[in-house]
Amino acid sequence: MTWRRERWSADHPLPIGVTKRAQVGDLVRAGDIIAAGATLAGALRVPGARRLGLSPADFERELRVRVGSDVVAKTVLARVGRRFARSVTSPIDGRLLHVTVDGDLYIAPIVDRWTVRATLDGVVARSDDAVVEVEGEAWCLQGAAAFGPDAIGEITLGVDGPDSDLAPSRIDVRLAGRIIVGGARVSAEVITRAHACGVAGLVAGGVPPAGLRVVYGDTVTASGSSSRDDRPTVLCLMGFGSAVLPRAIFEPLAALGGARAAIHTASARLFVFSTADIARAEAGSPDVAVSGEGPAAYAPADRGGADIDEADSEQPAQSEEELSPSANDRSSSER
Amino acid sequence: MTVSTGIDAPVEETRVALGRSLRVALVHGREEASRRAVTNLALASGAEIVARIRASDPRSFVEAAQALRDARPDVVVIQGGTKDEVALAELLEALRLGCGAQRPMPRVFGLVDTRVAASLRLRASPFEFERFAAASEVVDGLRRLRSGGDSDAPLRDALIEDGARALAETTATAALAVDVTERSTSLVLARPDGRIDAAHFIPLGLGMGADHVVVRASLDNVRRWLPWPIDAPALLERMFNRTRRTVEGPATTEAAVLLEMALAREAIAHALRDAADAGLDVAAMRSAPSILITGQPASLRRAGQSLLVLVDGLEPNAVSTVFREPDEGRAERIGMVVAVAPRRPAKIRIVRASGRSVARVDPGSFGLVAVDGDVEVAVSGAGVRGHGRSGELGVLIDARGRPLSLPERDGERIPAVTRWHAALQAIAGHRSST
Repeated sequence: MTWRRERWSADHPLPIGVTKRAQVGDLVRAGDIIAAGATLAGALRVPGARRLGLSPADFERELRVRVGSDVVAKTVLARVGRRFARSVTSPIDGRLLHVTVDGDLYIAPIVDRWTVRATLDGVVARSDDAVVEVEGEAWCLQGAAAFGPDAIGEITLGVDGPDSDLAPSRIDVRLAGRIIVGGARVSAEVITRAHACGVAGLVAGGVPPAGLRVVYGDTVTASGSSSRDDRPTVLCLMGFGSAVLPRAIFEPLAALGGARAAIHTASARLFVFSTADIARAEAGSPDVAVSGEGPAAYAPADRGGADIDEADSEQPAQSEEELSPSANDRSSSER
Repeated sequence: MTVSTGIDAPVEETRVALGRSLRVALVHGREEASRRAVTNLALASGAEIVARIRASDPRSFVEAAQALRDARPDVVVIQGGTKDEVALAELLEALRLGCGAQRPMPRVFGLVDTRVAASLRLRASPFEFERFAAASEVVDGLRRLRSGGDSDAPLRDALIEDGARALAETTATAALAVDVTERSTSLVLARPDGRIDAAHFIPLGLGMGADHVVVRASLDNVRRWLPWPIDAPALLERMFNRTRRTVEGPATTEAAVLLEMALAREAIAHALRDAADAGLDVAAMRSAPSILITGQPASLRRAGQSLLVLVDGLEPNAVSTVFREPDEGRAERIGMVVAVAPRRPAKIRIVRASGRSVARVDPGSFGLVAVDGDVEVAVSGAGVRGHGRSGELGVLIDARGRPLSLPERDGERIPAVTRWHAALQAIAGHRSST
C-alpha cells in the first residue's frame, strides 16, 4: 500500500431512470453531478403497437415521446392516422421507461430523484445508461475495503498520530462535509456519530467488523459494499480491527490536510486532488505495524469499478495466521 | 495439485485451473422444480449465483431490472415451462432494461423447450440467446465460460468429480468427495454407474470465502466448534482478516488450525443445506460408503483433524470408509466411520480376519477403536451394519446422534468439543481414547 500519483479511472454505476448524464469528453471535477435521474415505482405496461395496428418496428417510428422522458397523464405517446386517428396515451404521470420487443410501453411513476457525483477530477471516458466512467490524475491510496456510498470532501486529520483511535468526542457538526482520517481504528460509535454530524466519510487503518455489522447489517462481508443510500462511508485502509497506519501513509495524509478528496467505495480507493509533493512517501513499501489481532499488509483485492493502467500487485507480508490469544481466548491445551 | 487414483498408484502431478469467477443470474418458472433445476445447474457448474428471480416474483418490473443491473451477471440462465412463458418474457424485458448497457453484455442460456425458446429468443435481443436441450449441456457451457477456453488445465471442480467417480468405480459403491479450499466448497456424489450429483459453492471457503461462511452460517455456528471461549467481535475480526491474506500451505499454529477446522465444518454443513435446498440427494451423500476429503481439510497435519472436520460437518449416518487426499500428496485411507444413534447402551460387533471383538456403545459416545484392515461391523438394536476398511486411525464410532447438536452453554459445550478433538488426536498433547 503506497501513495501513487497516476492517471486513474473510476466507474460510477447508474440506477435505472437516468434523465441526464455527462457526455464522453466532458471535463468534470470530483463532486460534480455527472448523472441525474428519477427513482421509479412499479411500472404500468401499456399496449402500444397492437393498439395502433403497427408492427413493433414501425411503432418505434411513431413514438412522439423519447424513451426516458417524463410524461403527464393523457400525454399522447404515439399516434397514427388522420381522420380516424388512433393513439396511445399515458395513463399516469411518470416516466416513459421502456419499449418492449412487442411494442408495448412501460410507464413508471416518479417517487424521488437521484444524482451521481464524480469521484475524480478528469474527463468522462465512457457514458451510457448503466455507467459513467471518469479518468483523471490524482494521488491515490488503495484500501482494503470500503462501505457505503461514494464520498467527496476535504481531508481533515481527526487524530494526533497514526496509532491513535478516533474518539467520538472529536466529531462534531463543524466537520460536516469533510473526509476525516481516523488513525488506527474507528468504532461503530464514531461511524454513526460522524454520519449524524454530516461527515462525508471516514478513513482509518482498521475498522472492527462487529462495528461494521452494527452499521451496515449482518450481511456485510470483508469485500466491502458500495451503496447509493444514505449511509456512512468508511474506508478501511489496511484491514479489520485495529491497524496502525505506517508513517509513509499517515504523514502524507497529514500533509494533504485541507485538500479535496474522494472515496470511491467500489474500488476501495481514496483519491486526493492536490499537486503537493509527497514523493517521499511514494518510494518503497512502507513499514507495517501490526497491533493486536490486526492485519499486516494485504494483496489488493480484485476490484471492479476502478482500474489503473499498470498492475499494482503487492505481496502479503504475512503468509501464516499469527494469532495472539487474549485472556479469554486461549486453546484448552495452552490454559 | 496432485491426483492419485488410489493409495498404491503413483501420484501424478496435474496443473489445475480454478477458472474465472462466473456471475450467474437465475430466472426460473413458478414451480419449485424449476427453481431447483436452475439452482442445480449453477451449483454443478461452479458459478456464483448473483441474482434469482422467479416468474411469480413479487418485485415490480423496475425493481427486477435494478436487481439484474446491480448483479452484473455474465450469464442469465432461464428455465421454465410453457405456462411460464409470458412471465419469463417480461423478465427478459427487465433484463433488457437493466443490463442493455452492460459491457460485455450478459449471455442468456435457456433450458426450455423449442417453442418457448423461439418466443424468448425474440425477446432476448440484443443479448445472445442459446437454447440447451439438456441440463448437462448448460453445465458444460457454463464451465467452458469459466475455463475461458483453456483446455490444457482442467478446472478443479472437474477434477474433484473425476476423483469421486474413480473412487465409486474402484469401490463399486456410491462415493462422496468433499473439497474445501480458500474460496470454494464442493460436494460430489458419484454412483457406481457413473452418474454424479455435484455442487460447487463459490464463494464459500476458508480464506477468501471465510466471511461468506460467517454470513451464511452465522458467527455462533463457527464459534461453537472452538474448544476455548472467544468473544464474537474477536472471532469476527479474525474471519474478516483471513479473507485478505494469501495463505501458503496449511495452517501450523494450533489456534489457526482449530479455527480452520471450525470454518471447514460450517462450510460443509452449509453446503449440504444449500444442496438439499437445490434438491440434491443429501441423504445419499451422508450414507455414502466411501468418502474422500480433499483441499485444505485434507492437508491438515493430523489425519484425525481431517476426519473430525468431515464427521462434524457432513454428519455421515452409516458405515463409511474415509480417504483424504491433500493437494500436494497421495490419497490415503484414514479411517472408518460407524455412525449410530442408540437410545440405550448397545453393543458393536467388529469382525476382522484375525477374529472378532465386541465393544459397548453408550449414547453420546465418540471414539476410535484401533483396528486395521477389512472390518465388518454390526450394532445391536440400532440397525447399523456395514463393511469397510479402516485406515491409520482405525474405526471411529460416533454415537452422538443425528442431527448433531451441541450444548448451548460454554461450560457444557467446550468440554464436549475438547473431548471430541482429543478422541481423534486433533489437539496437541492428547492421545486416542476409545
